[in-house]
Amino acid sequence: MPVPCGTGCGKNAALKRPKTGDALCKECFFWAFETEIHFTITKGELFKRGDSVAVAASGGKDSTVLAHTLKTLNERYDYGLNLMLLSIDEGITGYRDDSLETVKQNRDDYEMPLKILSYKDLYGWTMDEIVAQIGRKNNCTFCGVFRRQALDRGAALLGVKCIATGHNADDIAETVLMNVLRGDIARLKRCTAITTGSEGTIPRVKPLKYTYEKEIVMYAHYKKLVYFSTECVFAPNAYRGHARALLKDLEKIRPTCIMDIIYSGETMSIKEEVTLPSQRICTRCKFVSSQEVCKACVLLEGLNKGLPKLGIGKSSKAKKMLEEYNARQNTLEQVIDDLNDTNIKKKSGKKRNGLTDKCNSKTCCSGNCNSTQNNMEDNSKINSLLDEYSLKETDKPVQQLNDVSDDEEGCSSSCGRLGGLGVGF
Amino acid sequence: MICKKCGALGTITLRKKDIYCDVCFSINIVHKFRGCIGKNKILSKDENVLICLSGGKGSTVLLDLIHNGIVLDNHKKLRIRPLFLHISNGDVDRINNIIKQCKLYSFDVYIANIADYFEPNLKILNTNSLPIVNAEHNEKINNMFKDIPLSVYNDMMLKIKRSLFIKYAKLLDCELIFTAETTTSLAINLLSNISIGRGSQIENDIGFMDNRNEKIKIIRPMKDISQEELDNYMRIKQLTCINFDHHQENSIQSVISNFVGDLQENFPATVSTVCKTADKIGLHNDNKIKKDMKCIICESNLNRKNLKLSALEATEFSRLVSLLKPQPTPINSNDGLHTEDWAVVNSMHKSMFPFIHKTLCFSCSRNYAQMSQSQLTQTIQELILT
Repeated sequence: MPVPCGTGCGKNAALKRPKTGDALCKECFFWAFETEIHFTITKGELFKRGDSVAVAASGGKDSTVLAHTLKTLNERYDYGLNLMLLSIDEGITGYRDDSLETVKQNRDDYEMPLKILSYKDLYGWTMDEIVAQIGRKNNCTFCGVFRRQALDRGAALLGVKCIATGHNADDIAETVLMNVLRGDIARLKRCTAITTGSEGTIPRVKPLKYTYEKEIVMYAHYKKLVYFSTECVFAPNAYRGHARALLKDLEKIRPTCIMDIIYSGETMSIKEEVTLPSQRICTRCKFVSSQEVCKACVLLEGLNKGLPKLGIGKSSKAKKMLEEYNARQNTLEQVIDDLNDTNIKKKSGKKRNGLTDKCNSKTCCSGNCNSTQNNMEDNSKINSLLDEYSLKETDKPVQQLNDVSDDEEGCSSSCGRLGGLGVGF
Repeated sequence: MICKKCGALGTITLRKKDIYCDVCFSINIVHKFRGCIGKNKILSKDENVLICLSGGKGSTVLLDLIHNGIVLDNHKKLRIRPLFLHISNGDVDRINNIIKQCKLYSFDVYIANIADYFEPNLKILNTNSLPIVNAEHNEKINNMFKDIPLSVYNDMMLKIKRSLFIKYAKLLDCELIFTAETTTSLAINLLSNISIGRGSQIENDIGFMDNRNEKIKIIRPMKDISQEELDNYMRIKQLTCINFDHHQENSIQSVISNFVGDLQENFPATVSTVCKTADKIGLHNDNKIKKDMKCIICESNLNRKNLKLSALEATEFSRLVSLLKPQPTPINSNDGLHTEDWAVVNSMHKSMFPFIHKTLCFSCSRNYAQMSQSQLTQTIQELILT
């Protein structure tokens, strides 16, 4: 027997809302769905009138629905926003290449400008190449860390006030559970915030924070939106999968639990005596980091040195790995040293290309990108240091390493090492 | 197989890698138990402590540890006056077994019934005998639990028992209560708490001490002992438990319990990681609070963080828009609706969260909304009014 729509509009209901248990027809659902997102945007004070906003677009259901709804609401309620799409090409064959076609379709459908940045241009590596190095495990660490920074770079290029991401209620609940399971108290604290970003960085907002994944799928389906629905080919092995499986099981029993978990995360307080890592700026690339050197730099360094596991797991392991590596390099260098002094300079220059390349490449900024300039500055600084110290006083930088390696993470020690041995970026 | 402590032949492997002999292992368990009480400096000399027994593994080991502590005749003697309480759901076999179990140690045990929750004037019971159950209260409690979702049942049961522990502690002149949760069960409780919206209550529900009642504190002295250790201790001491504490199947709690068990197999650090996380989660402290408002069911503080927007408002708003027909909305309205619409929903008694922040916390309000039986509503309302 058909159930009537709960608003009393006279039509038959098309779906039962998991969040409240109410049955609605298609039309009433569209209105409720959109009005809720409007409510989130206004109550959460996500945007200011006149802002330029980059919608992080993957071509998947969440970002497609986000772009569509933001466009609709921007017109309906006259937010006065200047919306654009920002995509990151990780270089995953059979996944991202296809989904980017969908994003291009969105660009045409919603008449928004689109910017695509690729890992290849930014970092010199595609995800396919990274997976060939690291294997099927832990590769999401690379992708996630690189994407975070890539979005920041893209947003800086576009000159936007904030980035809107398509994280939905399920994603956030899942993250809360995952951070509890991993004991990551710092992330647990900030993962439920609707706006994230510290001073000096471009904030990210989540307009779909209270929107269920199921309703997003229904909305996209009924509205016949074009989106790309294949799961990433590398994702199934991620640790996140455990949290996801748990959430799905819980949702089956009590659909409201997604909101309950978010509420738990929001109302939870961290004890005052717990020290949390403070966010600061990476000394190498000048992007936001919780360490002296950000994770993206450490991971990239590992890839470039042929030590892909460098940024994965415990810092003690990373230290050991670097020590072994440096011991090898040391002997090699001494031999080279004896033969030819200039060789090292050449070597570091060559390695650097991987990074400097990106600024000349077609997708990036054609030279006016702040971030990359910082990067180059940093490089030249370190290079001058190298010129000064590395050949004559090999001991001194190694001493420096000992100072920093007391720091909580291994990344800083990797930095010290680098300066010391002149292997460069 | 060498004990990593004393070098003797090892008999127990913990966490798949650490090998101990029986003796060193037992010493370690006793140490963990005593250390947990000791370092928190909570006991004063010869204090009355109410020990709550369910008959499960945890409570069986707790009973043994307490006995071992108080029979000692040296400086390590556990200086408490233990009183024992079992709250029964009417299972006579279990009651008799618990009486028998306590008799082995020459302890007396008070037996109460879950229906006492509705008794306004509790009286001191006789020890070691079946409780007299008030028929009217019994019917009330049965009605309350009839046809309610099992997740709500599990949660309410915990809250009712907690409330009874405190009432009896008052009656028996105890300011401290010991309960027997282990690391493993606390990890499960933590995840369950989060999954039902009790994130802000974690310190009291999972931490060493439940501080919500002004007079009576609930202590969890076994919080550093894991399920695996319990099993080994029981084997060495040849203890048998009376029943297995199980959550009702197909509930939030049972799903989490299975999940933690499975994950523990592949990631042995899971339980301790989860509990370490719990240790860092505290209570929201606002000094500007004039008067403490408490939830009448779980005694949690109703004061909350000042949030611009939370999942609570978002859910309430979802309910609201699900009751209204689509309408052209005023552009400058903050939430896209006419103000009178909110009033409409309130007048329809369709709020997702009845009594919230007045007499009930988020989660208890959620429970209440799911127990829609009219009789139950009445019973709880009596509670709300009293």
